Amino acid sequence: MTERPFLWVVAGSAGSFTPARQFVQEMPYRPQVAIVLCLHRMRKPRVPMIEAFSRIPYWQVVEPQDKDPIESGKVYLAPADYHLLVEREGYFSLSVDEPVHFSRPSIDVLLESVVEARWPRAGAVLLSGANRDGAWGLYLFHRAGYFTAVQDPQEAEVPTMPRAALELFTPNRLCKAHELVQVCLEALSL
Amino acid sequence: MLPEALPEIAEADLERFFQIMQAQFGYDFRGYAPASLKRRLGTVLKRYGLKDLHALNQRLLAQPDYGERFISEITVSTTELFRDPSAWVAFRLQALPLFAQAPHLRIWHVGASTGEEVLSMAILLKETGLYERAHLYATDIDTYSLAQAQRARYPLRLKNLYQQNFAAVLPGVPWQRYVKEEGNEMVFDPALLERVRFLKHNIVSEAPFASFEVVVCRNLLIYFTPALQDQVVTRLVDSLMPGGILMIGTKESLFWCAAAKRLVAVNETERIYRRRSL
Ligand SMILES: C[S@@+](CC[C@H](N)C(=O)[O-])C[C@H]1O[C@@H](n2cnc3c(N)ncnc32)[C@H](O)[C@@H]1O
Repeated sequence: MTERPFLWVVAGSAGSFTPARQFVQEMPYRPQVAIVLCLHRMRKPRVPMIEAFSRIPYWQVVEPQDKDPIESGKVYLAPADYHLLVEREGYFSLSVDEPVHFSRPSIDVLLESVVEARWPRAGAVLLSGANRDGAWGLYLFHRAGYFTAVQDPQEAEVPTMPRAALELFTPNRLCKAHELVQVCLEALSL
Repeated sequence: MLPEALPEIAEADLERFFQIMQAQFGYDFRGYAPASLKRRLGTVLKRYGLKDLHALNQRLLAQPDYGERFISEITVSTTELFRDPSAWVAFRLQALPLFAQAPHLRIWHVGASTGEEVLSMAILLKETGLYERAHLYATDIDTYSLAQAQRARYPLRLKNLYQQNFAAVLPGVPWQRYVKEEGNEMVFDPALLERVRFLKHNIVSEAPFASFEVVVCRNLLIYFTPALQDQVVTRLVDSLMPGGILMIGTKESLFWCAAAKRLVAVNETERIYRRRSL
């Protein structure tokens, strides 16, 4: 198995899609990095989310299948209606366990799995959203020593999710939507 | 403590848990993918108000009759009628015609859960006129789910979803042909289950009990490590007649499975494969 890439998680719910896509558009290539987007989405979307990511300059955007190895240079979109988990052995697992906070994929489930897997290097940013999924997971993530950022609730389209996180702990960074690339590069440089 | 907090799972307790499950109940959970298994264990601990896995281990040892109930709690029974409708459409158009002339059609649902999947199959067979030649087997390790499957009754709150899936696979076919309502339940026509046998069977440890024209095993492989997926898929392919069909879940892959070489894709996107003749 090759070296584990730095895992950068971008997570959110209502109001997170536009900033997340913008981030992927603008993020310059960096070696040894894999990006995971965990965005709540409709159970049965009319147009699959992946189609909104057709012209991304530096990254290959994919929906992971179960047990796909986690590889550098890719943006992984958590598929609708499955939880996405990271395994210590270096691949993803999908599951259809009950929704958490009415959400599948659940951000808590993903972030907890990264912590549980003791993934060597990772960071995460929690964006706009209308429920509290992700707050607890991000807190565990932070406690485990990973870099964390939260979108400024003042600016978030729906502040519930970032607020829930901020009630639990103080992240490394509070950021605006247009700063996502900068924040990721900052995390990479640590 | 927030409601999200789950008890932690110590590695030593996990190893002990595996030993107890194997020795006491004959289940080998070592090949289950750790991330979701641990989360699942955490959820069960919390439901019982147990503080850690050690406490659960003690309980499993003290109450051997608790095993079946526990299996039911630790497994994930999520399913739907015609889950992933496009896969069923593909199955109908690309797989079923292969058996139009076959004298009999033996179909095995591995990990059948609460029965929606085998009911979906039975409906499709009725609609295509193949039902009378079919022998359906629905197996699972969870006897509680199997008991529910045999009732073929589901809460009415699932009706919208099930009916939508049904209509996507069988446009124009009246829903009432197969389903009526009683109280707050949907009741499926008992004739659908006439040719279905429900059996307890563990795909990890037990050999197949027959040969089949079709094997359906969806959203079960995701719970296994790559190594166990490889073993189980070999077992599934072994149980297929040459030319038989294997259908797995739409997000599952045969990447780690040597037995993939013995299959050709009928529809890769929908994960429908056919066993080579030789
Ligand atoms: C998520 S459900 C999938 C149901 C259905 N196949 C579908 O896709 O809608 C997984 C099922 O596999 C069963 N299962 C888990 N381990 C098993 C094993 N070793 N042998 C047989 N069934 C198993 C579980 O009890 C559960 O009912």
